[in-house]
Amino acid sequence: MNSRETFTDLAIRAALMVAVYVAFAAALPSYHTVRGAAALLDGGVLIGLTALGIGITMIAGEFDLSVGSLAAVIGVLTVNLIITGMSVIPAIAIAVAVACAFGALQGFVIAVTGINSLVFTIGTLIGLRGFAMIISNENSVTIPIPRLGETDFFTQRVLGLLSPLSILMFAVFFVAHLFLRYTGAVSSVRLGSATPLGFDTLLLSAVTACLIGGIALEGGKGTVLGVLIGLFTMRFLVGGVASLGAPYWLQSLAIGALLIFVLIVQLSAALIRDRAVGPGLLELSPP
Amino acid sequence: VIAGFLGRFAPAGGPATEAQAPARRRLAFLFMGIGIVALLVIGGLTTPSFLTLENLLVVIRAASITGIIAIGMSYITISGNLFALSAEELAILAACVFAFLMRDDYGLAVSLIATLIFAAGSGAIQGGVISLGGDPIITTLAFGALFRGLASLVSNNKNILLGTKAAEWLGTGRPLGVPTQSWAFVILTLVAWFVLQKTRFGRQLLLIGANRLAARASGLRVGQASIVAMTLFGVCCGMAGISAAAQFGLAVANLFSGLTIDVVAAVLVGGIPLKGGQGSPVQAALGAVFIALLQNFMLLHSFTTGWRMFVIGSLVALATIGFHLLQKRQA
Repeated sequence: MNSRETFTDLAIRAALMVAVYVAFAAALPSYHTVRGAAALLDGGVLIGLTALGIGITMIAGEFDLSVGSLAAVIGVLTVNLIITGMSVIPAIAIAVAVACAFGALQGFVIAVTGINSLVFTIGTLIGLRGFAMIISNENSVTIPIPRLGETDFFTQRVLGLLSPLSILMFAVFFVAHLFLRYTGAVSSVRLGSATPLGFDTLLLSAVTACLIGGIALEGGKGTVLGVLIGLFTMRFLVGGVASLGAPYWLQSLAIGALLIFVLIVQLSAALIRDRAVGPGLLELSPP
Repeated sequence: VIAGFLGRFAPAGGPATEAQAPARRRLAFLFMGIGIVALLVIGGLTTPSFLTLENLLVVIRAASITGIIAIGMSYITISGNLFALSAEELAILAACVFAFLMRDDYGLAVSLIATLIFAAGSGAIQGGVISLGGDPIITTLAFGALFRGLASLVSNNKNILLGTKAAEWLGTGRPLGVPTQSWAFVILTLVAWFVLQKTRFGRQLLLIGANRLAARASGLRVGQASIVAMTLFGVCCGMAGISAAAQFGLAVANLFSGLTIDVVAAVLVGGIPLKGGQGSPVQAALGAVFIALLQNFMLLHSFTTGWRMFVIGSLVALATIGFHLLQKRQA
């Protein structure tokens, strides 16, 4: 895909994003304010970081199912480190380092054995979920209340708008963008796993963001900007559905429907393109 | 046997499918057999309550729901479509639809048939999208989210009580002392084995999984096979959903937590290769039984949930690496 096609592709996806935004803005006054829109983006940090990680593995032609479980392990680990008396920043640094090490190990095993990453990460999905429960004693772990203040800087607002986490997310996206542009070797990078918390729909939301953003499943195609556009499109939709008063469990319906819609549009586009080019060799050969 | 069929159907069927497939499957069966026997012996020697008839029936019952869906899943894997990640959600939706129909007095027969048709249709739609070129993982992930949302919608995110005892037997009956689910599991295993090995459709499915291009070139309808495999999978999910709704007398949108992963684990531990074209539903069934035995053994030794998950996860990871390396050496 040359740069002009990439640009067209991104423009179409951006148009979809704007369309979703406008559709909800017509009904929701909170979409008109900068503050409301910023709050929407703030809610997408976790999904955004996961989507970026999963997106990079997908561009490399791999698929990591275990992101949610590893995120849970790292979340528990961070809190456990803080409980033992460590201050917040080193605890996070250590936890992220552990996540990177595990991601690298997983990538190493996959690269050396040539095993399908999808299959292998099913095992690690189950195992890590168990491990998260072991190190948390099968309870949710919480930061001691007197020390909660130390984590406040994550929820403060810069310029009254975006939390530092959001800014961190944009920074990571920017770095990843540079990284993807200027280096070709991404297959060993498995960032997919360094998110701070775990929840069930993380994988679904992250994959949806990637697909709306135009990352191809067979690998080799996709941009960081696309993932960002996909993330915003999804946030606008899910946030809008929630603001309209739909119960939380309808979010799953909305994400599923959106993903199916994107899938079908992409499949139809591919079919039409193939028609235009003419039948392939296989279709021509006699049965 | 498969190699013979494949040889006749597709001379260009890929080197690994010609002679190594039966050897590999025999090895997989051997490992499974050794694993199950070893567990039985160790369990019997160390745990007094393990090798009792009552406990083994508990194990078989625990394996049944996973096993029924794992058999459907094995057809998807064998047809070269990896996995369906919507098993749990489709089973939940089927349970909710069944409970909904029972509650509104449509009668057992109508509710049963309508739910199974609905489940089959839900499978077929996913198969349709996959046959158009959609990635099986992503497609089923998307439909899974849709099904979960629909299940919440049907049940209004509350319990749906069946309100009648008409279906109770389906969930709790024990003909000849064996739970109904386990009868369904065993019969389904045999039928699935027969269909795959002895019928034209089964052999086509194997060939399509082994070499999609060769299958297409020899005039087989590849897309249709995906649709049929997904439809059968849908029926299996429907059966699981109906059975659970009948057993508990209610359906709720968070039934079957973690079932999809259990099912995939059963298929992987059973040693069915992901690239398709090889394997047998019996392997998936044995995988489900083995995992259920191991779970039961750990439960009797009071392992916590976390440890049990950790052990099962490690087992799945090791099994997949083991089978993968085995295959690489043979190829």
